[in-house]
Amino acid sequence: MAGHDQAARPDQAAPDPQPGPPPEHDRDLAVVGLDCAFPSAVGADAYWDLLMRGGEAVGEVPESRWTADDLPAAVRDAHRTALLRGGFLADVDRFDNDFFALAPREAAAMDPQQRLLLQCAWRALEDSGRSPADLAGTDTGVFVGVMGGEWGRLRMADPAQVSPQLGAGSSAGMTANRISYHLNLTGPSLAVDTACSSSLVAVHLAGNALLSGECDTALAGGVNLLLTPALGLVYSQLGLASPDGRCKPFSADADGIGRSDGVGLVVLRRLADAVADGQRVYAVIKGTAVNQDGRSNGVTAPNRWSQQKVLQAAYRRAGVTPGEISFLEAHGTGTALGDAIECAALGAVHGVERERPCAIGSVKGNLGHTEGAAGIAGLIKTVLALHHRIVPASRFADRENPRLRLSERGLRLLKSPLRLPPGPVTAGVSSFGMGGTNAHAVLASAPRTAARAGTRQNGAAGVFTMTADSPEGLGRNLAAQAEAIARRPRGSATALCRSSNRVKTGLPYRYAVTARDTEELAGRLRRAAEDGTGGHAQRPWTKPVVAFLFTGQGSQFPAMTAGLHRESAVYRRHLAEADAALAPYVGGSIRDLVLRGDEAVRETGPAQPALFAVGYALAATLGELGVQPAAVIGHSVGEFAAAVLAGVLDLGRAAELVATRASLMQQLPAGGGMLTVRSAPAGLAGLLADRPELTVAAVNGPADVVLSGPVAALEHAERELAGSGVRTSRMEVSHAFHSPRMAPAVEAFRTAAEAVRPGVPQLPIASTRYGGMLGDRPMDADYWAGQLAEPVLFDDALGALVDEVAPTHLVEIGPRPHLLQLAGRSGRAAGTEFLHPSPGPEATGRDLAEVVAALYRAGLDPQWSALYPPDLPAPERLRPYVFATANRFWGCAPAHRAAPVHDAAPAHHSAPAHRPAPVRPAPAPGSPVEDPVVAVVIEAVLEVGGYAPELVSPTARFYEDLGFDSVMIMQLKDAVEARLPQAGEVSIHQLLPALRSVTSLAELYGELVTARAA
Amino acid sequence: MTRNDDAKAAHLAAVGTALPGEPVDNTTLGRLLGVSEEWIDIFVGTRARYFAWDLETGEVRRTLVDLCAEAGARALESAGLEPADIEFVVLSTATPDTLLPTTATQVADRLGLDHLPVFQLQAGCSGAVQTLDLGRSLLAGGAGAGLVLGGDVTARHLDVRRDPARMPTEELVNYVLFGDGAGAAVLTAEPLGERLALRGVLNSFAGLGRPAGQTVDWYGVSDRLSERPMLAEDYKAIEERVPAMAVEIFWELLDRVGWSTADVDHLLPPQLSERMTARIVEHMAVPSAHEVSCVSDTGNTGNALPFLQLERLLPQFGTGQRAIGVTVESSKWIKTGFALEKV
Repeated sequence: MAGHDQAARPDQAAPDPQPGPPPEHDRDLAVVGLDCAFPSAVGADAYWDLLMRGGEAVGEVPESRWTADDLPAAVRDAHRTALLRGGFLADVDRFDNDFFALAPREAAAMDPQQRLLLQCAWRALEDSGRSPADLAGTDTGVFVGVMGGEWGRLRMADPAQVSPQLGAGSSAGMTANRISYHLNLTGPSLAVDTACSSSLVAVHLAGNALLSGECDTALAGGVNLLLTPALGLVYSQLGLASPDGRCKPFSADADGIGRSDGVGLVVLRRLADAVADGQRVYAVIKGTAVNQDGRSNGVTAPNRWSQQKVLQAAYRRAGVTPGEISFLEAHGTGTALGDAIECAALGAVHGVERERPCAIGSVKGNLGHTEGAAGIAGLIKTVLALHHRIVPASRFADRENPRLRLSERGLRLLKSPLRLPPGPVTAGVSSFGMGGTNAHAVLASAPRTAARAGTRQNGAAGVFTMTADSPEGLGRNLAAQAEAIARRPRGSATALCRSSNRVKTGLPYRYAVTARDTEELAGRLRRAAEDGTGGHAQRPWTKPVVAFLFTGQGSQFPAMTAGLHRESAVYRRHLAEADAALAPYVGGSIRDLVLRGDEAVRETGPAQPALFAVGYALAATLGELGVQPAAVIGHSVGEFAAAVLAGVLDLGRAAELVATRASLMQQLPAGGGMLTVRSAPAGLAGLLADRPELTVAAVNGPADVVLSGPVAALEHAERELAGSGVRTSRMEVSHAFHSPRMAPAVEAFRTAAEAVRPGVPQLPIASTRYGGMLGDRPMDADYWAGQLAEPVLFDDALGALVDEVAPTHLVEIGPRPHLLQLAGRSGRAAGTEFLHPSPGPEATGRDLAEVVAALYRAGLDPQWSALYPPDLPAPERLRPYVFATANRFWGCAPAHRAAPVHDAAPAHHSAPAHRPAPVRPAPAPGSPVEDPVVAVVIEAVLEVGGYAPELVSPTARFYEDLGFDSVMIMQLKDAVEARLPQAGEVSIHQLLPALRSVTSLAELYGELVTARAA
Repeated sequence: MTRNDDAKAAHLAAVGTALPGEPVDNTTLGRLLGVSEEWIDIFVGTRARYFAWDLETGEVRRTLVDLCAEAGARALESAGLEPADIEFVVLSTATPDTLLPTTATQVADRLGLDHLPVFQLQAGCSGAVQTLDLGRSLLAGGAGAGLVLGGDVTARHLDVRRDPARMPTEELVNYVLFGDGAGAAVLTAEPLGERLALRGVLNSFAGLGRPAGQTVDWYGVSDRLSERPMLAEDYKAIEERVPAMAVEIFWELLDRVGWSTADVDHLLPPQLSERMTARIVEHMAVPSAHEVSCVSDTGNTGNALPFLQLERLLPQFGTGQRAIGVTVESSKWIKTGFALEKV
């Protein structure tokens, strides 16, 4: 053990600076996340509040644990009170089994310590600023201190009741392994039992695993639940039990131990990794040590010399001297002998020449002794003290035990909170086991990150995301976030949004909303949470299929996309790229012309390059955000940016072509014009026959046509159409585009485009020249020349695109919605969602954020960082996940009532986590199942899993929906075959392919029954 | 060489401000008060102000605690400090939400501050500088960092639902003069963030024997039916005395820190109203200094004003440059000012 290595080294104040062990800062570990639950203090905030107000968690034992009748008659009255008091977590029977896709029967068989740890692990990882789903498959380690095997002793005592679920549910090792399994963490995973020092030893082992490179992230902590009075009786017989069930550490009134429940985990990383990843650091663990009393004065007696040695070993490892320690979280059980020995050891080590005495305290005064979770209770207290820079007072310190001679020993019992001075602070945590395994950890305040001078958050629009396992879970968690955010002072929501993208993603039901400031965000979250319809929850099964629609001329306007340009660094960068590509051909900055609001952008010459630049930059921005189109379509000049995105043209070549095209078209003699007509093309046949100088320039929809031709002819057409009630409007153009009048430009443009060597499209392109998918036709000089004078067949092209890729979302790439309106009127894309990243003159970065939010809800996993300014402040801690509490599993339920004890039938069983949720009940609950074999399978499933009957429908899937594992499959096989003896025995080989859903399994058995009957 | 009037250095590391809702322009205000825009423009010159209460219904939307907490959080964030780094709070206001608990303690609670001295000063236009003065002393006493705040709200002292036609002109002026807002600054012993060294602070009561120039009154249970005005100003005395006092403050500060007028790059003059401020600046005659004012866009926000001016100063405050801020409280005549140097 490490303690031995350390003990063998010569005593020295500081580590040798010569080559050898890595420099001390490389051995620093960061506490980046934590979660805990202690009696009357569930969650880290509540725990801190309990400590700061000097609260107490000791009370009467709940009847669900044990009663006075369970105590042996021989216990003396004076001891009985002690055995009927302690610190008890409320509602430990409540467990969100659906979240972890655990069948009720399995959940009911699980030691509640395992259940508490599962939820605690999820919350602690979220608190570390990462989505637990992101850690799936990583080598993250799990180290759990646990000393109670009471569940197993209670539940497995009767061999007749033993089941595989109970076997797994009762094993101490499974406390850690469950976490690894359900979160898919593949690093070391082990339970540690060194009695009362278990959880600090777990932290020590986790730290060693991190330092040796076994894992990059570790969960470490412990759990303790009092299920029987047995250990209390032991304390009592040893004379160690406090009659009032309270620990009174270092107090003149100290009279023994009171026992308590608790669970706590910290998320540890190597400090350098945590800093590199931008994680917030609560505190640093500088070094830990573990040793043993060896053959001391009795196996359960504390040993002063070993305690001194473990402290010294930890300080050596940490590279600190005892004089640097500002405060100590002592083991401090409040037994007369234990306190005396600990103070002697602490005094011997810390009673050095020092500016002020070393402050000491013990959280056991508040909580009682949480045994397997005692070390982690002290560690989390110390971490929070370093984080808040204040050390809570030690309860019962006001009657300090004078015989401990604390002041002579350089120690000071904290009678009031100690505010820590600015600058680095070092602290220690002790935890000692009954069997003589001692642990000590040296902690320090988190390093200061260099303050970003004058960082001003302008409140950039962000997307706040939240996910849950069910619509109910989403509502519950939205409400929790709304409440927590509303309590903050009003300010920018940008950092909160960014943190939510990191942490609150990865579960099946999604919610996303844009926000700029916290007040607005809290309001939106609250309204979503209160919306009983569940309309805010989306459950995407697939990724969205996005088509980009690149707008053509006519959509431009002065200062287009200026709002987005102000707010999006990514858009600024891509617009600058396009601007630079165009500059050689347009003789200046088209971006500057656009952004300064120059009216010249309305003219063809600048309009086409400007639209190209905006289209290119918008598409590239979306691409950087992770929005990749499944197909593209461009209207007229919009085809150039579409061609760049599809890889047909490179940016430089396309810029040259667009600039040339614009210039050629601008140079054509004026006098032509264009007229939009709300009519079907067929309805214009007569008019066009009468006026051959008019031609169809675009068919934008079934009743959206554009005519091109001389102004006089257009005016005539306008009057004629008005007379027959057809709506028309003149377009603001100087020329008759897409008409034979473009002929002079066509040849010149063909020549200019001669050198174009179009690439093979990397994306399906719907061609508005051909009115269909481009297919393998080249976008060469002929294409671009013809495109200029021929009509734009947008409607047909859009129809082809929809047929080809079946988009779920149409995103218009341009400065204001135009093509989306056409698509809407045409009915070509019914059922698709229309999105626009910059929908008009008022558009800002928020509109881009809205597009990302909508696509996230629909199943896209965006590159979130591209949405935010590069100089965001440190991530914000968000309130961790709030689990469902409706399902209750308790008691030494014998197998005949293994089903969960539902105190009230939960209104709605939610879907399992991070697996596809069930297709919600096909048959209405209670409706009879027609097929008798299906009915048999359902009956067997209910028996094996202990589900609420309404949850198991014929379509329910075994793995995804019901959380089946191999053990349950075997039990199911037995249960079905017991009911269907006529099917005979089925081999596992036969069974496996049928194990998709209830129906598929019933089909197999149905066939077998029929076959054998035949 | 600069002679600092305090051996122990104090620095402004960051400034944060909060203005509630949308700005209320003269058109809107004029319509509600039944006065012309021109009248507001001629007499006051202020173009916009913010109110934390609904102008139509009088409903209070944001409290002074809300505004101060917002400003304080912004200042903390800009400074890159955590609540645990803050060792004292000083808040100044003439219009606390409640007499007890103090707005200062409520703000500390909202900002997650605990176990530290929290002071509340009762002051008007001089309040912000008084917080700097007290903050500087606390730093000199060993603190590493502290938060100072100032703010005022008008919800209790203005009521547009009253018939404005029946209001005497001197009362009507209050409606166009004042606005709601809060500001905050993080003070540090070491240069940090914006690195503005507080070279000198002047904070001096100068009202012996002089009648009050401004009265802000309040009613309680026993006198709630009283008809006396809640806000009253002696405009004649203010117009006469404030420019002269401002000049005195300016010179007294220069003398304290050993600067000449040529050393002053930025001047933060008193912000009574656009018109008054213009007159004062003219009177002070430091044309070389660049004026930093806010009153025409924010109205007179009392204790928040210097913070709002500081926030405007920051983007243009170059390293090595110097600024003088001058405020005059005309209630019982208090002379305050400060000298800053960006290091």
